Amino acid sequence: PKEPSRPALLHNLDFLQNLPFSACSLLARSLLLFPEREQRLRTAPHRKRKVRDVWCVMSGNYPGNVLQLIQTRGDLTLQIGLGRLYQAFGMVRSTLQKQQSLPVRPIIPLVARMSDQNASGAPPMTVREKSRLDKFKQLLASPNTDLEELRKHSWSGIPREVRPITWRLLSGYLPANKERRELVLKRKRDEYFGFIEQYYHSRTDEHYKDTYRQIHIDIPRTNPLIPLFQQPVVQEVFERILFIWAIRHPASGYVQGINDLVTPFFVVFLSEFVTEDVENFEVAALPLDTRRNIEADSFWCMSKLLDGIQDNYTFAQPGIQNKVKALEELVSRIDEDIHNHFKRYEVEYLQFAFRWMNNLLMRELPLRCTIRLWDTYQAEAEGFSHFHLYVCSAFLIEWRKEILSMVDFQGLLMLLQNLPTIHWGNEEVGLLLAEAYRLKYMFADAPSHYKR
Amino acid sequence: MAGGSVFECKEYLFKVLVIGELGVGKTSIIKRYVHQLFSQHYRATIGVDFALKVINWDSKTLVRLQLWDIAGQERFGNMTRVYYKEAVGAFVVFDVTRGSTFEAVSKWKHDLDSKVKLANGNPIPSVLLANKCDQKKESSNNTALMDNFCKETGFLGWFETSAKDNINVDEAARFLVENILANDKGLPYEESNGDRIKLDQETVAAESKSGCC
Repeated sequence: PKEPSRPALLHNLDFLQNLPFSACSLLARSLLLFPEREQRLRTAPHRKRKVRDVWCVMSGNYPGNVLQLIQTRGDLTLQIGLGRLYQAFGMVRSTLQKQQSLPVRPIIPLVARMSDQNASGAPPMTVREKSRLDKFKQLLASPNTDLEELRKHSWSGIPREVRPITWRLLSGYLPANKERRELVLKRKRDEYFGFIEQYYHSRTDEHYKDTYRQIHIDIPRTNPLIPLFQQPVVQEVFERILFIWAIRHPASGYVQGINDLVTPFFVVFLSEFVTEDVENFEVAALPLDTRRNIEADSFWCMSKLLDGIQDNYTFAQPGIQNKVKALEELVSRIDEDIHNHFKRYEVEYLQFAFRWMNNLLMRELPLRCTIRLWDTYQAEAEGFSHFHLYVCSAFLIEWRKEILSMVDFQGLLMLLQNLPTIHWGNEEVGLLLAEAYRLKYMFADAPSHYKR
Repeated sequence: MAGGSVFECKEYLFKVLVIGELGVGKTSIIKRYVHQLFSQHYRATIGVDFALKVINWDSKTLVRLQLWDIAGQERFGNMTRVYYKEAVGAFVVFDVTRGSTFEAVSKWKHDLDSKVKLANGNPIPSVLLANKCDQKKESSNNTALMDNFCKETGFLGWFETSAKDNINVDEAARFLVENILANDKGLPYEESNGDRIKLDQETVAAESKSGCC
């Protein structure tokens, strides 16, 4: 008789069943004392996933339905193990709080945490990181920035400090010639606010009111868990950017998902002026000029990005249809097991990969990971329109084990729509990109003869 | 009939669509129904989201409802057909505080009926949900109007719902499932010998598992 399917997470937590309470306390203690990032590094590779999963469950960072799976489908012994762990966590946390005057790390730090390199919590820079930063600074300071060289260095991640200017350069918004930069910025910023003056009032016109209403409904629910995006001044910035873009691009107009694409630019350009955590920053405190510059730059860089993927958003979204088909074709060549597994349980790629393409994986990854991902996308020729496909393939195969252990349609779809990446950081994105690069190298332009 | 004890547990799997204009609360209704949760800020659904609700319908019946939460912004043209395929029931949702979302109900219903049908060619059972009723301004009594609208448009019925205050969500679901079950039992091929074949298959399936229910 076939066993009912168990989510992979439960396998990773199996060891809890035989863990005595003293060991639970030790685990809780180490997880609470060392922020998850350090914890990952200190853990042997084969145990990484287990510890991560424990941390995620304890901090409530698994999507609700996965937790529900544990409750409804987990074995009783596993539930007892988890119960013991919860208890240990509670006890250890309260002891730590009593012992130390410094606050213990909040228990849900990861939902909204955007950057691995917070100014406050950042570890000191390594020698390698320092020399990388110097290389960037040198390139940026030259009278004519060598964009090819800049791309090469950006591929493996841009240091936070120089990310805003590097993004402006790589997106083609800012000229390589240093002397011209200031002038171009001024002209483009004025141009954007010219659009606002000229068109923004038309949002109440009969012709545009539907577009505006859709944007207006979507803005409060863009990044709903991050306080930054609940501020009225920030929501107004997003509304203006999206409305102006929509009416200037009538072939697509506003399409749900585009709202997400403004976020990385806005956060990166804002980070130039923020030393503490961006996600809790009070934007209204910035001078008006600064806010206007961030808004205009976000608009133009988002426009540049969308220029390259516009057929994702025109009628019937042909770009996405093609990319989902291409993903299916690619996976069928790279990993037959996954492909056949989907066929067997009648999972269609469109059911999960539509969102991957439409939102450029932004819904599947924490924002800090998207920002890191976009370093590479902007460094890679056709990053957003083409390389993304290989990243999606690598991302899918990353969950191979979990996918193959799920043996019903519902389980598969719920897994694929709630992949547990909440604890991901630069390390994971780096590996994902390396794998995507490998796939691109092996499978691009080599269709049929690779087919097994 | 043979194998009396086997009949004590019957399992169904139903695919149910939840459709309607953007921002009317489709996702909220599903989260309320499945997880007993409400939040003001779910992100906009992109493409389709899945949820599963398992109902112990009665002592003999287990119903698995596969809920397909379809994005409200219709941009994908005919491709939504992929999402509608093999659905056996639907909720069409509108927002009582925004008249335009009610005006779009007929469009969604028509879209639904043109893309999916029951095996016997009839439209799939659908229920209209007037959501966000907790925010309704005046308590105007338009029951007769709504009843009439449902009759004309081919809805089985309608409910005023609030995902926020948990009003009528379970009731509406129960009403739809009752109708889906009735349809399932009412299908001609199941009443005659088709029924018999199906039961025999179930017996085999049940025996091959470690135990049913």
